[in-house]
Amino acid sequence: MDFVWESTVFAIAAFLILYWLLNKYAFGPLFSIMEQRRQLIQQQMSTAETSRKAAETSMEEQKAALEQARKEAYAIIEQARTTSTKQADEIVQSARNEASRLKDDALKDIESEKNKAIAALRTEVGGISVQIASKIIEKQVDEKSQEQLVDQYLKEVGSK
Amino acid sequence: MHEFPITKLGGFNIDLSTWGAIIISAIITFLLARLAVRNLSVHNPGKLQNFMEWVVEFVHTTIASTMPLEKVKRYISLGLTLIIFIFVSNMLGLPFGIVFDFHHENEFLGITKEVLEQHHGAVHMAFWKSPTADLAVTAGLAITVIFLVHYLGLKENTKHYIKHYVEPFPVFLPLNIIKEISKPVTLALRLYANIFAGEVLISTILMLGWVGIPFLAVWQGFSIFVGAIQAFLFTILTMVYISQATIHHHEEEAH
Repeated sequence: MDFVWESTVFAIAAFLILYWLLNKYAFGPLFSIMEQRRQLIQQQMSTAETSRKAAETSMEEQKAALEQARKEAYAIIEQARTTSTKQADEIVQSARNEASRLKDDALKDIESEKNKAIAALRTEVGGISVQIASKIIEKQVDEKSQEQLVDQYLKEVGSK
Repeated sequence: MHEFPITKLGGFNIDLSTWGAIIISAIITFLLARLAVRNLSVHNPGKLQNFMEWVVEFVHTTIASTMPLEKVKRYISLGLTLIIFIFVSNMLGLPFGIVFDFHHENEFLGITKEVLEQHHGAVHMAFWKSPTADLAVTAGLAITVIFLVHYLGLKENTKHYIKHYVEPFPVFLPLNIIKEISKPVTLALRLYANIFAGEVLISTILMLGWVGIPFLAVWQGFSIFVGAIQAFLFTILTMVYISQATIHHHEEEAH
């Protein structure tokens, strides 16, 4: 086995040519494709990151909106409850007032009717009494008693 | 053992089997790479493209283990060419051999009277082998790489590169020179010896005849492993040397 230096020179030349050819026609395009893919992936990752952030933001917003809506609903319910209680109180109050008013009216009516009746009765009784009295007087008053009576009246008048 | 066909052409010795093997290896390497990048696609890479991208990733990781990440990119092409070419070269001699017996003088193939007499009248000429089973070829690769190492060291790291010859003390200058010389020598010899030994053993097993088939199968499988390891070793050592020459803090030794 001899060392053939021409083979060495040829090997060097062949290797350099191969390196140049591969670099130009094979690895160059391959590297550029891999670089493109790297950029593509990076871009996709950043896009994903952006959309994730956007999704998070909208999620927050929706949560806030939901919370707001819940609060509003609670407020409305609370208000409705207050209003209804108030209204119920008012209704009860007015009913009570109405009832007492009606009762008072009725009492007044009764009173006035009673007074009227008493007055009518009194007038009637007065009339009847006068009639009775006149009848009695017509029948029973004699001279003496009449004189006596007149005196008494006169006395009474005179003492006043 | 086999002789190799050496043609004398204008005063130069042309080893036909080596030249042929180098050319075939280079063509296979180039075709493989071209096929891999034939239908390049960002979204839907083909099988071969996927494979080649895996190789690129692998080489990238390998180089990145020897030097800072931002410097890796420049050397990926070199690492890829080295690892693929050496691997293909290592595999080339494995599947078969082409051996002719020559009984007559043949000026073109370098079979002279003396050679014939030396081999008792019948010369076995091997036309097919791994280019890396030839020391001349591995020496060529190692020279290329070491030239690059020193060039890069001088160009990019001038002060530290020159200074490292006299570190830690000027007394160490001879040792450092021996170290620098041993780098290409070990690179070339390691690769050559592994592959050459593999092929020698293959031709030895072939002498066994039919009995040797299982041994041959086992040994060829192991040779594939060895070939891959040697290709990887050559590449990573190249990168280690480049890293040592070009990076500032290179006190540690990677041997």
